Amino acid sequence: MKDSEKLIQTIREKNIQPVPKHFFTLKNAAAWLGFLLAVLLGALAFSVVLFCIQQTDFNLFSHLGHSRLEFFLGLLPVFWILFLMLALVLAMVSIRKTGKGYKFSITRLAAFTTAFSILAGTLLFIAGGGRALEHAFELNVNLYESVQEKKVKLWSQPEQGYLSGTILSSDATSILIEDFSNQQWEMHYDSAFVAPVLTLEKGQKIKAIGKMLGKGQFEAREIRPWGGMGLRQKNSSLHLPGDQFIVPALRPAPLSGAPSCRAAHPYRSTWAPQP
Amino acid sequence: MLTPKPICDSLSDLEILRRALEALDFFSCLYERYEQRFLRYIRRVSGATAEEAPDILQDAFIKIWKNLNGFDQSLKLSSWMYRIVHNEAVSFLRRKKSFGKDQKVPYDEQLYQRMPDEVQDAAEEPELRDQRTQHLVNRLPQPYKEVLILKYWENLSYEEISDVLKIPEGTVATRINRAKKAFIQASEKTPAP
Repeated sequence: MKDSEKLIQTIREKNIQPVPKHFFTLKNAAAWLGFLLAVLLGALAFSVVLFCIQQTDFNLFSHLGHSRLEFFLGLLPVFWILFLMLALVLAMVSIRKTGKGYKFSITRLAAFTTAFSILAGTLLFIAGGGRALEHAFELNVNLYESVQEKKVKLWSQPEQGYLSGTILSSDATSILIEDFSNQQWEMHYDSAFVAPVLTLEKGQKIKAIGKMLGKGQFEAREIRPWGGMGLRQKNSSLHLPGDQFIVPALRPAPLSGAPSCRAAHPYRSTWAPQP
Repeated sequence: MLTPKPICDSLSDLEILRRALEALDFFSCLYERYEQRFLRYIRRVSGATAEEAPDILQDAFIKIWKNLNGFDQSLKLSSWMYRIVHNEAVSFLRRKKSFGKDQKVPYDEQLYQRMPDEVQDAAEEPELRDQRTQHLVNRLPQPYKEVLILKYWENLSYEEISDVLKIPEGTVATRINRAKKAFIQASEKTPAP
C-alpha cells in the first residue's frame, strides 16, 4: 500500500476531522484581545507613574543628607513601573501568539508596545485616569500605600527637618500648626522663605523644611503649600492639581513591605496616624 | 480510491486544499506532491532513518489535515506545511534525544571514517562531499543546522524560512550568518579526507 493511501485510510478509520475555522478565528481574536488589554493595562500603569512623579517632591533633592541615588530610587513609583513592565511583557507575548506575530523582532515588539502604552498612558493621565486609578487603589486595596499617604509620611518627620500640617493661627514671626497626627507645633518663620502663594491664613495646609527645636517647637527654613511648590501667586487658592485628596490620616497604617506608589522610602517615618 | 496523478498534477496547492476539504481523497495529492521532499527534509533535520521518516511524515500530514482550516492564505502553503513537518521532525528528535539514541548518526560516522581510505580526492565525488557537509552540519547546534538545511538544501527564501521557523526575517539572516561561521569553524577543525 502506498503511503498516501495509508494516510487517507488512517484519517478515515480514525474519523479525524479538520478543526473548525471559527476555532482559529477565535484563537487569533483572543490573542489580539490579550494584546489590547495588556496595552491598556500598561497605559493605566503609565498614567499612574506620571501621576506619582507629578506628585513627588523631587525638589527635596537639594535638602538631602542621604545618597541622591537612594533617595531617587525611593521616590520612584516602583510598584507601578513593575506593573507597567509586566503589562508590556504580556502585550508582547500576546502579539506573538497572533497569526503573523512572529514577524516582529523582540526589539520592535518592545518598542511598539511601549510606544502604545506611553501614548495611551499620557492621554489617560491628561484625562485624570492615573489619579483615579491611584485613588481607587488607595480606597480598595488595604495593603496599598497611596502617594498621598507616602507624602504625609515624608512630611511628618520633624526630627529629620520635615513638618507639615494645617495652620491654626499665625503672627508676624510664628505660626501655630496642627500636624497630620493632630499634634500642635509652634513654627518660627522669621528667617524662612515663604512661598509667594501662601498667605499663612488659618486653614491653609503647608509643608516646611527646617529644624526641630524641641517638643512642639520647629524653626522653618522654607515654607511651601501642601500641594506643589507654590511659586506662582494664586487667588488665595491652596488647592493645586494633585492636592485634591483628603489627607488619609484616618486610614490604618499600611503594612511594611506593602506595594506602594513609591518604593520603601529611604526616610523612616515617625508618623503614626490616629485611629 | 485516491485521486489519479494527472488530476493532482493539474491542480495548484490551494485548489487541492479547497477540494480536500470537500473530498478527503484530494488530500493524497498534497501528500504525493511533497512526500519525497519532506522525507529528505525530515531525515536531514532530525537524523531519522529511512524507516522512521515515513512515520514522522504520516503524523505530520495528519496534523496538516486537522489544521487545514487554520491555514493563513497569505502564506505559501508549502511554507505552512514545512512548519508542521519541521515541528514534527524536531519533536521526534527531542524524543530520540531523551532516550539517548542520537549520540551518533551511524552511517554518517562510518562513512566519514572510511573516506580517507576509499577516496583519493573527495572533491571529485559530489555525493561524498555532500555527505561530509551533512555530517558537519549535523554537528552544529540545532538552530544553526535548521537554517542551513532550509536555506541550502531546501532552497527556501528568508521569508519562507521565517514562516517555517516562526522567527523574524532579520533573525533568520543573523542565524544563517552565524551558522555559516560555525560551519566554517567546524570544517577547519575536521580534517578533509
